[in-house]
Amino acid sequence: MNTTDVRRRRRHRALAAAVGLLTVTTALAGCGSGGNGSTEDKGGVMGPDDGANLTMWTRAATQQQSQALVKAYNKSHKNKVQLTVIPTDDYQAKVGAAAGSKSLPDILASDVVFVPNYTSSGLYADITDRLDALPYGKELAPAHMAAGTLDGRKYTVPHTIDSSVLFYNKTLYKKAGLDPEKPPTTLKEWDEQARAVDKLGGDVNGTFFGGNCGGCGVFTWWPSIWAAGQEVMNEDGTAATLDSPVAKEVYATYRGWAQDDITAPGAAEETGATWTGLFPKGTIGVMPMPSTTLGLMPGDLDFGVAAIPGPDGGQSTFVGGDSLGISANSKKAGQAWNFLAWSLGDEAQVEVLAAHKDIVARTDLAENKYAKEDPRQVMINTLVAKGTTPFSQKFGQTFNDPNGPWLALMRDAVFGDPSKVDADNKAITESLKD
Amino acid sequence: MLLARSRGSGSPAPGGEPASRSPFGGGRARAAHRVPWWRTRPAQGIGYAAPTALFVGVFFVVPLVLVGRISLSDWPLLAGNRGFNAPDNFTEAAGDDLLWPSVRFTLTYTALVTVLLLGLALLLALLVQETRPGTGLFRTVFFLPSALGLASASLLFLGMYSPNVGPISPLLERLGVVDEPVSFLGTPTAALWSTVALIVWKYAGFYMLILLVGLQRIPQDVYEAARMDGAGRWQTFRSITLPLLRPSLALTLLLSVTGSLLAFDQFFILTKGGPDNSTMTVVSLIYREAFQRLDLGAAAALSVVVLAVLLILNVAQFRGLRGTDT
Amino acid sequence: MKPHGLGRTPYHVLVGGLAALFLFPLAWSAWASVSGQPGTAQQSGYGLGNYRSLLHYDAGLAQYLWNSTVVSLLTVALTLLVSLMGGYAFARFTFPGKNALFLLTLAILMVPYATLLIPLYVLLGDLGLQNSLFGLSLVLTVYQLPFATFMMRISFESVPRELEESALVDGCGTAQALVRILLPAVWPGLVTVGLFAFLAAWNDFIAPLILISDSAKAPLPLAIANLRQRSMGAIDYGTTEAGVVVLALPCLVLFLLLQRHYIRGFMSGALKG
Repeated sequence: MNTTDVRRRRRHRALAAAVGLLTVTTALAGCGSGGNGSTEDKGGVMGPDDGANLTMWTRAATQQQSQALVKAYNKSHKNKVQLTVIPTDDYQAKVGAAAGSKSLPDILASDVVFVPNYTSSGLYADITDRLDALPYGKELAPAHMAAGTLDGRKYTVPHTIDSSVLFYNKTLYKKAGLDPEKPPTTLKEWDEQARAVDKLGGDVNGTFFGGNCGGCGVFTWWPSIWAAGQEVMNEDGTAATLDSPVAKEVYATYRGWAQDDITAPGAAEETGATWTGLFPKGTIGVMPMPSTTLGLMPGDLDFGVAAIPGPDGGQSTFVGGDSLGISANSKKAGQAWNFLAWSLGDEAQVEVLAAHKDIVARTDLAENKYAKEDPRQVMINTLVAKGTTPFSQKFGQTFNDPNGPWLALMRDAVFGDPSKVDADNKAITESLKD
Repeated sequence: MLLARSRGSGSPAPGGEPASRSPFGGGRARAAHRVPWWRTRPAQGIGYAAPTALFVGVFFVVPLVLVGRISLSDWPLLAGNRGFNAPDNFTEAAGDDLLWPSVRFTLTYTALVTVLLLGLALLLALLVQETRPGTGLFRTVFFLPSALGLASASLLFLGMYSPNVGPISPLLERLGVVDEPVSFLGTPTAALWSTVALIVWKYAGFYMLILLVGLQRIPQDVYEAARMDGAGRWQTFRSITLPLLRPSLALTLLLSVTGSLLAFDQFFILTKGGPDNSTMTVVSLIYREAFQRLDLGAAAALSVVVLAVLLILNVAQFRGLRGTDT
Repeated sequence: MKPHGLGRTPYHVLVGGLAALFLFPLAWSAWASVSGQPGTAQQSGYGLGNYRSLLHYDAGLAQYLWNSTVVSLLTVALTLLVSLMGGYAFARFTFPGKNALFLLTLAILMVPYATLLIPLYVLLGDLGLQNSLFGLSLVLTVYQLPFATFMMRISFESVPRELEESALVDGCGTAQALVRILLPAVWPGLVTVGLFAFLAAWNDFIAPLILISDSAKAPLPLAIANLRQRSMGAIDYGTTEAGVVVLALPCLVLFLLLQRHYIRGFMSGALKG
């Protein structure tokens, strides 16, 4: 073991020398071409931009945002970020394999719900001091920041935000005699409106949900529970309260949709592969979806967005998306920080993210000039402040795992035997404690 | 170049060590009166087998030993080795609620796939064995799916089974076979049969080819003789074709059983073990331990057990076949 | 087995029906890749929108095709070389450890792929081959060895011994005998082994997923797996089917071109069991 360590270190040193040489060369090249950059600050608040090559991984689900950011960064900086996109379902496998052999990229994006586990496993470098020195370090999306904080130290910053909101089809609402400007404000209204649209018949269905997809359930069902002021877990994410009366009321509504065929066919077997594909076809009345699909809707579809309501009102959202951190084994932490800090700056947030109809990661930029053009976007941006990002070390294996205990609860509650919910909730607690 | 190198190596050590000397140097001169060790048959055999040994050693035995070590250690995927903890991983794996259901499912699936696959492959082989006009084309058609990767084939069927874009359900509705959309992956039974259909479609042609080779090796005069004796078609098939085809059938059986017991990709893409954990295979369980629950130790422990079971099974199968063969 | 008594028409109906069933999925994926589907690059009507989005995806289709080609050809070359020598050794020589090595090679089939990949990843890192197409080819070659070695051993065994012996008597070394005399005789076996190595390497997804961590080095199946997922893992069927078609085409073409050879490969060695 020792000899391989020495060998590995030696190789790293050779690599570092090579990189150093490369840096010098690029710097010289910059001189020759006249040098337009005045961003020659070494270190400082933003970290060095000295022509380093940085590696970065992101999952396929949020690659559009990551790619846009990286492209804009590379165009305006000497540092170059090389982005690798990894299939969403396989991200954990990939990160795990790399973590074991200390070969993580310099910058590691992660689904925000996995961040606590990665942080406690020591995958990320501590960026508390750098973050505190950043002028807009206090304005970052609070739910993402909480997920990336361990024992008071900060490890990650928000990267992309994907929030769950209700999408409704105005054309179908009009046909069904509903007011297209009055989306549901309670779960009961949602139920009535879905059933009204479903009566149109033909290819049209009232609503849809991913009934065999734990991640979808977390993302779209929990906001209804939160909206009523009810929590789903205790504060440190070690015990579940998914058997609360509010939760059961939410499950019962979904159960009704499944039993009365208010949903489009295939809800029971939907593993998350196609659940966002139906609404754009214009055959679904009202359903919760990721806010990132806003920019992907066909131009001729007349639709509105609304907050996900609780049984008797209130509104909430699941603040999902990705966080960004510097991996603990990175040799270029300073340069990596330069990218992180830039990605949170005004230019990146407004001209890159907001311009693509994406949610900004800074609360002080919610009402930017692009958002103002589309009221739906302002609604989503302000909703983020009311939303929650659940926190647990064992989140993935409890809630996202297709063979984990949460999916069992979902399916018992909606398609199977609802009396098993209490026992299923205990199994979830077991898994969280584990 | 060669000359220079052999001289160069000679000069620093004038005494010379003949053993380490290049074979192009002194060796050739001595070959005249005595076969040098490196020209004996066993040595040459070892030489030819060396690349295989190197590959198997470095990329199979070494990782296998490492898996063994991981199975005895507390080894979270993200944090790495935390030291020896045997036999915790094994007891933990044995206590997994999904272990026995997944073993049962894997066995059911293996039996189902093997029977259907071998049956269909044999039927296809019998149908296309003669050179009639068009049989060449049909052989090609039946074999075509084998050229696809398992992952691509699974993705293709995921589309075919999809309630949104899949073509089968609307087709059946139009033909009046069913009244409402068919749910291909929605119930445990449907998911099992849908996956079996994919596998049979993908592999039947390959197995057909193996059986076809076996069929063609049966001498024609055996059939002639049987016909002279007035044997019927069914009788000929049972008493001549089947027994003489046994080696080929044994090979397909071995491949199908081993492959099915290790099934993973198709379920990973089509069902993710669902609905309600009804299609968890043993390898899915290993994958889940490693990459969902991030416990490499438990995953390695399960792998060690699976490997041991498969080894025993295959040795037994080998013995059995050899025993009855002679 | 002689005629099945099936008359011409029932026979053709049966075989034709089966053939249609076998062709249907392939035909459907080709159709689905060009037909319109909301939410994909081909919104409506028929066209090549999905292929266009594939062409320009991330590092670009050309780059992925190139990577896949490099990996596949390297794997084929390595598999052929190792199994040619190995098959010769197992078929024609006796040496200590021969049976053990042969069984060990076959045992590779019995280990779940997913388990070995993490140790292999660590190992390749120690060898300095992580994230390299060459390292990936080495791993893919190992998984080809059970079939390839088995096939080549049988191919060599079915060549008459006299052929080789006469060459040795003529003063050829075993290497010369192998190249000049035996190689032409085991050619069909080599084609079969090469084809299967190609198909496996071309289509493999899990090994590159773990072993390659650089988009520009990813082979095609990995890129398509990336491509198919949208937000929350939703699948873009149009582009996926286009990807399946692009993945499948070279395999089908190669398979049709080499058909005659590898059927002879199967026949010659003939899996005697």
